[in-house]
Amino acid sequence: MIFELDNVELYFKTKRILNGIYLKAETGKVTAILGSSGCGKSCLLNIAFGNLKPKYMLVRLDGKPLLKPLYTTGIVMYLPQYNFIPSEIKLSFVFKLYAINWNLFTKGFETFSIYKNSKFSDLSGGERRIIETYIILKTKSKIVFLDEPFSHLSPLHIDTIKQLIEEEKKEKVIIISDHMYQHIIESSDTIYLLKNGTTKKINQLSELEDYKYLNEGTL
Amino acid sequence: MYRFLAILTFYRSFMVWSFIVNAIIGFFNPVIVPALVTKLFLTVFAWYYVSETRNQRKLTFYKNLGISSLELFSVVYVIDCILTIIFITIFKEFT
Repeated sequence: MIFELDNVELYFKTKRILNGIYLKAETGKVTAILGSSGCGKSCLLNIAFGNLKPKYMLVRLDGKPLLKPLYTTGIVMYLPQYNFIPSEIKLSFVFKLYAINWNLFTKGFETFSIYKNSKFSDLSGGERRIIETYIILKTKSKIVFLDEPFSHLSPLHIDTIKQLIEEEKKEKVIIISDHMYQHIIESSDTIYLLKNGTTKKINQLSELEDYKYLNEGTL
Repeated sequence: MYRFLAILTFYRSFMVWSFIVNAIIGFFNPVIVPALVTKLFLTVFAWYYVSETRNQRKLTFYKNLGISSLELFSVVYVIDCILTIIFITIFKEFT
């Protein structure tokens, strides 16, 4: 599948946040969005998912325009920056709801096996983040948006999530955004830099320094 | 089935308020049609409140299941109507 987001123009009152955005992602490749804080990365993912309505935008799936919010198609999963699973729900219920195997999950994350009948409110922020990221990646879907999947995670869990992304990209379009650029560079196949409200495709990593996203000599 | 249970979880946060409104309606005007119209107005208000505040984050969970805000609040309204009708019918029997 090829996912394209084109011609996005977003205003907050009279302030223009995004304009002239183009982004292309496809199955088998991880597409990353990098950019400084407040540049509109999360807004862009929200727009793509259908959470935020911009002034203009066009989503194309395999070249065909989609005229309704992407989430209504049921083929997309979105991990926002915040904890999106209600606190009062039990883990076992959420795994059934998203049709994910609990035993398979605890094989990779043994320390979670005691939480099967716990509510999300019983978990720490980091633990919730791991489970939410796992659910988003493992649920049957065609497109996955990950907004800061590495935040609040320990290095060991970051590696596990990176492995999961590598596995799941074979069957899914994955678009990822995070401030931890080293992990993003390692996990992604295509990188877009969001700067001055517009996207620039990065062909060589040195361009990240040229566009002043990274300091000279960082790479 | 699980999707419906997930919607019930969302409705649970409004249940106490709904019961309070039912009690007020029961005491002042226990007639089903005006009660359902009142509930429709309150459901639209709840939708507006959730969509325009930080509470809209709660909707992401349902959108990931492919459930739009319209579907979510429509089902919530139907559930609430059923409970309201049961409440008012029982209330009338004892007054």
